[in-house]
Amino acid sequence: MRWGYFILLLSFFSCAETNSPNLHDSEVKVRIPSAFPELVYPADNSPTKLRVELGRRLFYDNRLSQDESLNCGSCHVLSAAFTDGRATSQGLHGSVGKRNAPTLANVAWLKRLMMEGGVPTLETQILVPLHDSTEMAPSMMPIVDRLNEDEYLRALSLVAYGRDSIDPFVVTRALACFQRTFISGDSRYDRSLQGRNDQMNERELRGRDLFFSPRTQCSECHSGVFFTDMNFYNIGLFDEYADRGKARATDRDEDVGRFKTPTLRNIQLTAPYMHDGHMKSLEEVVRFYNAGGTAHRNKDGRIRPLGLTDEEQADLIAFLTTLTDWNFVQNEELLPLGK
Amino acid sequence: MNRFFSLLAFVALVSGLQSCKEYKPELTTSTITIKFDALRDGSRFQMGRIFTDAYGNRVRADLFRNYISMVSLVSDDGSELLLKDFLLVDYSIDNEFTVEVPDGRYSALKLGVGIPAEFNTDQDPANYPNSSPLSVAGSQGMFWQWSTGYIFAKFEGKADTLGVGSAQPTLNIAIHAGNDASFRAYESPGFTLDLRKSTRTIAVHLDVDKLFAPLEGNEVNLTNNAVTHSQNNSQLARDYMDNLVAALWVEL
Ligand code: HEC
Ligand code: HEC
Repeated sequence: MRWGYFILLLSFFSCAETNSPNLHDSEVKVRIPSAFPELVYPADNSPTKLRVELGRRLFYDNRLSQDESLNCGSCHVLSAAFTDGRATSQGLHGSVGKRNAPTLANVAWLKRLMMEGGVPTLETQILVPLHDSTEMAPSMMPIVDRLNEDEYLRALSLVAYGRDSIDPFVVTRALACFQRTFISGDSRYDRSLQGRNDQMNERELRGRDLFFSPRTQCSECHSGVFFTDMNFYNIGLFDEYADRGKARATDRDEDVGRFKTPTLRNIQLTAPYMHDGHMKSLEEVVRFYNAGGTAHRNKDGRIRPLGLTDEEQADLIAFLTTLTDWNFVQNEELLPLGK
Repeated sequence: MNRFFSLLAFVALVSGLQSCKEYKPELTTSTITIKFDALRDGSRFQMGRIFTDAYGNRVRADLFRNYISMVSLVSDDGSELLLKDFLLVDYSIDNEFTVEVPDGRYSALKLGVGIPAEFNTDQDPANYPNSSPLSVAGSQGMFWQWSTGYIFAKFEGKADTLGVGSAQPTLNIAIHAGNDASFRAYESPGFTLDLRKSTRTIAVHLDVDKLFAPLEGNEVNLTNNAVTHSQNNSQLARDYMDNLVAALWVEL
């Protein structure tokens, strides 16, 4: 077994010299905004050049879907901060999913993934779209077999992860590794925090003060550098929730309608809003919060009529647009290779 | 896992001892095959064929599987010998495994139905080799992707609960049970298994007649509810798991 690997490795290096001269891996230093907490990588998946490249290739590879019509980037589009502009996503054969595709900006820091928080790591999250017929494929194994026909991907897999074939481990590691480079922390708001006072106008500054005020309490849930406390709340969107949210995982009545607080970074680019994408604009969202939501039994107490004037609502929206990181959504390293 | 390693250590010991026979007492072994099947009315259960359950519902099984974990033999002195860590039993095919065990007297068989919490919660199936029943390939869809953890048991098929009597029943049955609260431990009634360089088979039968039948307050009556994904109807999932262990019996 060991010898088998060794010989493979040898034969691989000899052909790598001719076919792909630069298949040498090296550690990559990911640049993290100074205000962000340290990024702790899983022991088996620290970033290297080839791991990120493999993940980037897989992320945009249609062979990851059963009928080769979709890739991760179909529903997570960089120009929309890795969302897709639809209320709920469209998967295989035009099937419609139940939820709105969330942004992937700064997913590396999320404590739990998915809107009910059932998934612990980015690695395990990848099993979700690859085992769902309303997303990419009903099962991952035929996808893995197909990827194994690609010699270059196999070569990458060997050098990046020491595995001579693509398997669920390699696919999930590489995709997670690439997604951990989706780092967004260079908005006008961030620059203003760094002391540049030419970044925000008066309206935006008034909106900022409202956002962080006890009057709105927005920042109690949309808190910290990621504008999320990563907790789960029912904000009173409906009287009856068709999607039970966290209760889907726990079957507890008090969890009905509770969803993970979404980040507000790049929010201007990620319409439509809420877990089912039923709100088309930020105006609609702010009008909703101002009205105070439904009287759902699980609604968080902070969601209540706010009494904001039209002017104040416009200020709040103006502030939200300062959270857009234009460098992030135009970062060529996050696009398909060669584009 | 510890038990797994003790088994490994034991096997190593056995083989080690055998090679130094001249100064150690001889330690002999027997071959045991453990097989799992489902029975109805005493004979092998047929998938895809209609049967009538204890409530009078006509039922057809199209997919019928469950995880079995930590299969161990209890020896006369009370110690436990792990034979197999995990196994995905599919009642549409033959399920068995064979192991060498040290000779001696054994008095019971223990196993879990489902996967114990330490191997279930927040685990990553991609960490297992394809040959493992806990891997992405080996779990064959017995995994909740959107909320990590294994589906301990699946029963899918059709039922006719209204006595319509049509050739093929039409009500969907989808019982997908599995979360830490629905893990079940099973221990067989005591037996005497005296092993001396023997070759023996232990059959673990599942009596399908007891699966959809009343059991101490449990109601797995498809008339009332036939669909659970554990988290949306956790009561049915737990009751199904109770019935599943109650339906097991061991034959030497
Ligand atoms: C058909 C559209 C679609 C495709 C294709 C798709 N996703 Fe998603 N993605 C979604 C939706 C919808 C959600 C929200 C799911 C939920 O929370 O229930 C999501 C959630 C996620 C999350 C969790 C984010 C969070 O905040 O918890 C990650 C990470 C992710 N997707 C990555 C990927 C990767 C990697 C791929 C390719 C293997 C992929 N997605 C393919 C639609 C899609
Ligand atoms: C009690 C916690 C809480 C408070 C307070 C709160 N939010 Fe939210 N917010 C959430 C949760 C949870 C969601 C997702 C709800 C869902 O989809 O069901 C959300 C969703 C949003 C969204 C849509 C995000 C998206 O990607 O779809 C915006 C925008 C938003 N909130 C802005 C605000 C503003 C502005 C305020 C203050 C007026 C505020 N929130 C107050 C918890 C909160």
